[in-house]
Amino acid sequence: MGLRKRLDPGRLSGLFRRVAHGPDGLARVGPRQIYILPTKQGLRFGAVLLVMLLGSLNYQNNLGLLVTFFLASVALVAMHHTWLNLLGLLVRARGGPPVFVGEDATFEIILGTDGRRAREDIAVMDQAGRRHAARVPGGDQARVRISAAAARRGLQRLSEVTLETRHPLHLFRAWCYVSCTATTLVYPAPAAHAPEPSAAPGEGQSSRRQAHMGTDDYLGPRLYRPGDSPRQVDWKAYARERGLVVKQFGADQGREVWIDWDQVSAADPETRISLLTRQLLDAAEAGLRFGLRLPGGTEGLGRGEDHLQRCLTRLALL
Amino acid sequence: MFRKTRMIPASERPERAQIMALTLLSIAAYLPLVRHLDPKVSLFVGLVWLLRFAALRWQAVAPGAWVLVGLTLIGGGNALLAYQGWSGRDAGTALFVTMVTLKLLELRRLDDLRLVASLIGFLIVVQFLFDESPWLLAYLGGVSLGVITLLVMLDGGSGTARMRPALRVAGRLALQALPLTLILFLLFPRLSAPLWSLGVETGRAKTGMSDWLEPGAISELVLDGELAFRVRFDSPPPGPDQLYWRGPVLWETDGRRWTPGLAIVPPVSAPSLLEADQLIEYEVTLEPNNQRWWLALDLPVTVPAGAFLTTEHQLVAAESVSAAQRYRVTSALAYRTDSLDTERWAAGLQVPDNVTPRMRALVAEWRARVGDDDWALIQEALGYFNRESFHYTLLPPALGSNPVDEFLFETRRGFCEHYASSFALLMRLAGIPSRIVLGYLGGELNRVGGYHMVWQSDAHAWVEVWSETGGWVRVDPTAAVNPARVDHRGASQVLGAGPSVRFTLEQADAMVRLARQLRLFGDSLDAAWQDWVLGFSVEDQMALLSRLRLGELREYGLVALLLPALSLTLGLLLFGALRERRVVDPLTRLYARLGARLARVGLARGGHEGPADYGRRVSAARPDLAPRVERFLELYIPARYGALPKADAIAALTALLRDFHPRPVPRAKPRRRPRAHDAT
Repeated sequence: MGLRKRLDPGRLSGLFRRVAHGPDGLARVGPRQIYILPTKQGLRFGAVLLVMLLGSLNYQNNLGLLVTFFLASVALVAMHHTWLNLLGLLVRARGGPPVFVGEDATFEIILGTDGRRAREDIAVMDQAGRRHAARVPGGDQARVRISAAAARRGLQRLSEVTLETRHPLHLFRAWCYVSCTATTLVYPAPAAHAPEPSAAPGEGQSSRRQAHMGTDDYLGPRLYRPGDSPRQVDWKAYARERGLVVKQFGADQGREVWIDWDQVSAADPETRISLLTRQLLDAAEAGLRFGLRLPGGTEGLGRGEDHLQRCLTRLALL
Repeated sequence: MFRKTRMIPASERPERAQIMALTLLSIAAYLPLVRHLDPKVSLFVGLVWLLRFAALRWQAVAPGAWVLVGLTLIGGGNALLAYQGWSGRDAGTALFVTMVTLKLLELRRLDDLRLVASLIGFLIVVQFLFDESPWLLAYLGGVSLGVITLLVMLDGGSGTARMRPALRVAGRLALQALPLTLILFLLFPRLSAPLWSLGVETGRAKTGMSDWLEPGAISELVLDGELAFRVRFDSPPPGPDQLYWRGPVLWETDGRRWTPGLAIVPPVSAPSLLEADQLIEYEVTLEPNNQRWWLALDLPVTVPAGAFLTTEHQLVAAESVSAAQRYRVTSALAYRTDSLDTERWAAGLQVPDNVTPRMRALVAEWRARVGDDDWALIQEALGYFNRESFHYTLLPPALGSNPVDEFLFETRRGFCEHYASSFALLMRLAGIPSRIVLGYLGGELNRVGGYHMVWQSDAHAWVEVWSETGGWVRVDPTAAVNPARVDHRGASQVLGAGPSVRFTLEQADAMVRLARQLRLFGDSLDAAWQDWVLGFSVEDQMALLSRLRLGELREYGLVALLLPALSLTLGLLLFGALRERRVVDPLTRLYARLGARLARVGLARGGHEGPADYGRRVSAARPDLAPRVERFLELYIPARYGALPKADAIAALTALLRDFHPRPVPRAKPRRRPRAHDAT
């Protein structure tokens, strides 16, 4: 396994061939893009074979030679099968649903084959080096979900995945690097607390603000979503093993707020963005109509999940 | 063994079923060794297996690191105790088996299982040092397939984790590996001499003839049903009375036992023959006998590589025969030997102390009758054996301290060793130098294999006497016995063995004859096994090369053949996998069929065209086809790109295309039938 570390694509990335993807994002693994080396087990097997060969040759034992040659031939054939297991594989990568910074961004790798032969034990390696193995039935597809820590807001790209297989005997490991263009949107991390946003200007009723917005009328439970405040989690329900459920409180449905870049003061832009994110989440939680004003543009007043997503996307890509 | 137990990822942790399979495989691989290894070793290994199974059932029984160390020490000590050492074939195997079995108790990761599986491969190869039968090869071939299957199962692919699919994958691998195995076996360069020796040769040989003779020595052999050697004659074989296979030559006797007397060393000058005629060439495949002599027809004139010819015209090998040995010799059936040196003259006249007066009187009586004529005296002696009531029997009465005297004058019942030793002694008393030759007489033709078989039961002893005119002359006193006095009772005990020239088995019933036929057939299979598999050697490889006119390249020729043959075969094997047929979506296929039908009337689909555009173009060009094409596309487009269930659409589309054979537009007179129009 030390060998694999030395062959880390990050360090020597320029030297390796990649499987290019077409304009439709589909990549087909070609014969000259597959690398293959014996595994540790393969080396041990080879060593045992060598001892068997030397012994049989020395004692001129033809039956010993026969079995040695048989096992060596099986290993030789298996090496080609390992290689064939990757050859012609169709790979497409797709981004997963948006996540917040600090969570894991997911990507879906779709492995397919248009041949009759099933592909056993095809593994997609994620950044942490974990294997995600799948079997691709002949003429069909298999999906593998890999994840990577979302460290920065914006678009998290997956420009390359490593596929590997050790089928059938685990004596050889064949792998290839497949280039891809999947992106997953990463929303900014919400701050823990944020000042209340200003009410929408020109609305007379806006002065009717309450000290604890969004905690008045209980509307019912809903499933936890990233970004929800832990204060709103129904811990009693969690203790009863009903899953992570959030108590939803509805405030005055008619209220409107503007979440404004200029209204929030913070030392650096990222902090400011995270404060805005919290405000957005809180506003959406409270069921308010809200708008977002940013230096680059404005998202008009709106309500609902889609609106929230749009606003968060603006913040993510700011 | 002291490796710290780190967190092992779940994917690397072995399952119970996998451990069970590995253990069963190791038991299967060990079973044939039980016959060959010390029971102490088998006992220990068996206990380890029991512990293994117990630990699978009850986790608490699984031994910890220190217990394992203890068990390892005990296992090593046990092997040491059984064999007084760790070197040599048996002890080495015992130690190896013990250690592999102990490793079964320490299977933490899948890698451990894979290691043990590889080591089982080694265990398989080691067994052929003990036994080289085809049955063992077939059995262990099955075990090898098990090893491969286990490796496939351990690979962890979701599709092959179970036994049956894994067996299918392993079977395919094995089938594809077989031709490669054959090529490697034929062409892989061999060693012509071993690099090292670990005492493997000992104990493999079957019992056979010894280089001494005393009453009962040969009759014991006759009861041995083993094969001694096989012979393939290049020309028609000589008659059965000529098939004297020459072995050790005995000079010295103490009155009971005959021994070679003279040292068996390569002579200063090769023995020469004054006359050699009726040359015959043949190939002998000698079964291992743990002795240094090779057998050849009386008298060998050529010396095969690896042997030398003694002054007594005996073929002696440089090393004892521990594995089947093949060699070619030429013999002269008619010959006259060269003169005798003084040492051998004296040795040929040596008599023991226990010669009795009545023996001397017998010889003196003959001498008085024939005078100086040695040849007449020999006839006199043979006549004596014939006339007097001498019986030839496999079950002679036991003889005391002076067997020759007792045999000649009292029991008169004996086997060839009795006749040969008393005849030789009588000749010496008459002043004629004589010696005993041990060997085999006869040979049974195996018509299936086209060769002769010589059995241990064909062992024989005869006498050679010296005459000034003829040199050493072979005299077989046993043949002088009146055939009426040959006792077949003993022969019935050796019915399984080959027939001896001296006993007829005509009386034997049909079952026995059938058994013998089966045995002949079995032996020809055995001989083929011996020749083509076990005996395949550097020489055969070189013969193959010279047939391909690559003989002068030697080993390089083998490699030059091996590599292209391997790659070519591998290429052919995998060609199918490389050019595998793609699975085409049935909808796409139907759509392509529609395009092909329309192309016949000049409406081929353009590569850029989507189905909707294509449909519009077809409808515009051929309004008569429009309803059918539109109906097709109405079904096809939602089924292909939308949510319409595919199975229904496929059936409907197939039906639509079934009788859709558009014909070219009739240019003139649309009423006329298109077919008739085409014909004009």
